[in-house]
Amino acid sequence: MRYVVAGYVVVLSILFLYGAQLVWRRRKLTRAVARVASFGEVGAPARSDDAGGDGR
Amino acid sequence: MIPNRNVHPPPVQSPRARWAVGIIGITAVVATALTVWLGLWVTPPDQSQGDLVRLVYIHPGVAWVALYLAFALAAVSSLLYLWPRTRSMFWDRLAAASVEVGVVFNVCTLISGSIWGKPTWGVWWAWDARLTSTAVLLVLFLGYLALRRVPAEPDVRAKRSAFVALFAAVDIPIVHFSVLWWRTLHQGATVLNPNLSPTIHGSMAWTLLLGFVAVTLVFVWMLLVRYRIGVLEDYLGTGELDVALRERQAEGAVTDEEEAA
Repeated sequence: MRYVVAGYVVVLSILFLYGAQLVWRRRKLTRAVARVASFGEVGAPARSDDAGGDGR
Repeated sequence: MIPNRNVHPPPVQSPRARWAVGIIGITAVVATALTVWLGLWVTPPDQSQGDLVRLVYIHPGVAWVALYLAFALAAVSSLLYLWPRTRSMFWDRLAAASVEVGVVFNVCTLISGSIWGKPTWGVWWAWDARLTSTAVLLVLFLGYLALRRVPAEPDVRAKRSAFVALFAAVDIPIVHFSVLWWRTLHQGATVLNPNLSPTIHGSMAWTLLLGFVAVTLVFVWMLLVRYRIGVLEDYLGTGELDVALRERQAEGAVTDEEEAA
């Protein structure tokens, strides 16, 4: 029975750890995308051809 | 505010999609827990294998996902990417996600099979046709993942990855038919045998079926999350470049203003 328990523990642990790593990666990338997107919207500096009359 | 014409819109996941992924994940966890409970405590021991039969409730399911579902999906996606009329980065991302998840399941297949083999055959590993072809499949798709990390333009990377996936997929039928083509230690198919007559019955058959469903749900959840990671990585690849370009433009704009002043 110890082989059976070992089999279940090993397989379920690998799947759980990989699943947790996927969630962690997704969360990290979602934050990075939000940071890049917010720079594009708020921190985007003025370009002369975009700026119009007042340059802002 | 100035319209941001250079930066691509960020890839937003709809609440419905997030909800669906969450539901699949919860269902997968419940189905897996039910399989473990039935497999370890409810089903009877086998007449010939004894308690070792309990490993059969997870090992074939994991192998089904790794050898057939994940790698076959990767092969089909790669083919659809290479086909000019269906070429889209969607297929490339799907293939990449499928292979990565499939490799994890392939490792689980080899480990659970090895743990079953030690008390049954007396050895952890045998150079048996089924085991060896499965290990070769793992190495081939590890090569695929390594190839994807080689720096290249997205379309070049997608194209060469697709060719490698199709080449590696040739091993899938070899793995499946190895138990028929050669005399092997590994037993023949329990459910998907040539006569399509399962050699397992009663509560054991239902637990095995539930194991297949549970592991497939786990695969689908992982595939969806991994696909989303691919979308975000692709966006950051272009998004960070856009930000860097805007920074350069900002420097140029400041210099122009200084010169004008």
